[in-house]
Amino acid sequence: MLERYIQAVRTDAPGSEEPAATRDRLKARFAPGAVRRMTQLGLFVGAVLGELQPGEADALVYATQFGEGRALEGYLDSFPGASPTLFQTSIHPSGAQQGLIGRQRSVREFFPLAGGNQLVATAVQAALLSDAERVLFCGGEERGTWLVPHGAASDRAFAFALALTRVRAADSIGRLALEPVADSAGALALPDWFELLHNRRPFAGAVAPGWRLVLEWQ
Amino acid sequence: MAFPTQNSAIRLAACDCLTPFGDAFATHAALLRGERALSPSPVLGREGGDAVPLALLPGRALDEANPPAWLHSLQTLLAPVAGPGWGTARHPVCVTSSNFGVGSLYALRRTGEAGHAAHGTPHGSVELVRRALGWGENVAIFSHACVSAHLGLVHASRLLAAGAADEVLVVSYDFLSPFVAGGFHALKILNVDLPVPYQDRATGSIGLGDGAGYAVLSRNHGDFALEVQSLHNEMYHFTANKPDGSGFAAALAPLAAAAAGRKLWVKGHGTGTLEAGRMEAQAVAQAFSGAPLVGWKGSLGHTLGSCGLVELAIAAASLRSGRTPGTVGSASPTFTDAVALEPFDNTAFDGAVCASNAFGGAHAALLLSHA
Repeated sequence: MLERYIQAVRTDAPGSEEPAATRDRLKARFAPGAVRRMTQLGLFVGAVLGELQPGEADALVYATQFGEGRALEGYLDSFPGASPTLFQTSIHPSGAQQGLIGRQRSVREFFPLAGGNQLVATAVQAALLSDAERVLFCGGEERGTWLVPHGAASDRAFAFALALTRVRAADSIGRLALEPVADSAGALALPDWFELLHNRRPFAGAVAPGWRLVLEWQ
Repeated sequence: MAFPTQNSAIRLAACDCLTPFGDAFATHAALLRGERALSPSPVLGREGGDAVPLALLPGRALDEANPPAWLHSLQTLLAPVAGPGWGTARHPVCVTSSNFGVGSLYALRRTGEAGHAAHGTPHGSVELVRRALGWGENVAIFSHACVSAHLGLVHASRLLAAGAADEVLVVSYDFLSPFVAGGFHALKILNVDLPVPYQDRATGSIGLGDGAGYAVLSRNHGDFALEVQSLHNEMYHFTANKPDGSGFAAALAPLAAAAAGRKLWVKGHGTGTLEAGRMEAQAVAQAFSGAPLVGWKGSLGHTLGSCGLVELAIAAASLRSGRTPGTVGSASPTFTDAVALEPFDNTAFDGAVCASNAFGGAHAALLLSHA
């Protein structure tokens, strides 16, 4: 069994907030001037992750199904005069990098996952397999526009960040585990994972063939 | 501060790649002959633009078809490891890329044909591959620009070291499109000049190439070992490294410590950009004094998220044959004396370091040796 203990959790459920409103709401979380070029997802993830004070010895796991939907749309719209800025920010895993670069926070390991039916299962697996003392597991989505009807951008926005440690401490607030199980099949979508965290709801069930996820809160 | 990211020796049970020259054997032979796959091509494909150095698979157009034209090539590459069982709990698959099917999104935007959209996202692209190859659902998808393939190798190694898998298939593919060529051209690092990695000249430039690769990792099968794998992320700037080169040094330090006393050669990242090339060459010279440094992107172009796996397959072919290709296309003066411009005999060497770097100051390296 792979397991870690939850030391902290942060979530952001911005609903249908537009990028300009997000920028205004979260600008105080970042260095002056840094927010101008940040994407909405970069602001969401950077804000929740920043509250956990990433350090160089931490491992970082980042999960998103669609990533920088609006930067991607804008970059595609910019042709034939391709925008260098939108090219940079559309590249996965820009959403997690923007805040860290703004704060000049190097990290030891960075495992960005990019979707799939087993996104949550494999992201949790990556977090629990790390040998770092503390793992920060973050993720989220931003709402796209013209790519949404094509199934190529998210239709909702959210962000989360968890701090996970090897050892249970007095202030641990929960436990996250993956257990091998025979003959099981299932999946847990990223928005459903976010709802579990946001509402501090427990979960125990198959999330991938052969793997059962356990999320417990104290 | 840097730590080894994975230091349990993991075996390379199978490994191959696909470049415009063919498989790893054919690519290795072409590099030994000093051939360049790069040739001037319109940066925006059928819409034209500057002629920039691109290395496309024979017969493949830069503009994407529906279904994607690269799928058949990927299936052919993976034929030796096809069969039931991959994508199950004990035999998971890690897919890595920086592009996946993004050329399909470009085609969607330019043509309006909605059918392209299904293959445009990372998960849509991987689902196409998963179904075509008959894999099960246990497929992890990693994407971290040009160190993507290394992350798949590290994750696979950890699954094996933890006893959570019996074998892991790591697959990486990056096929060019106007999306990515146009982006690097807009950044002004993909221009009309051919790349000359580690050559000290006035302006830097890169080339881009189609590339794919795979590796089957195992605890106890295979004639090569991935001894140590290392990661480091500077988070200094999106497209630049810390000027003191400390990011390169941090990624190489765990491997240098593990390899103390052994004779190694180094396959560097070497895209052809000036500052990164200079810092990498200096960091290699410091960490592995006297070790020859080679880079192959002057011939193959930069295969982006797949370069770590493509070049690992060529490095394994080099160790297997006893001959390491030189830094094809480059000439003196070079950033350090250690840059090997010509092929050399590697039979007296104990192994090779394979390093890759990426946007965001990401660094990855591994130590490959005979098991």
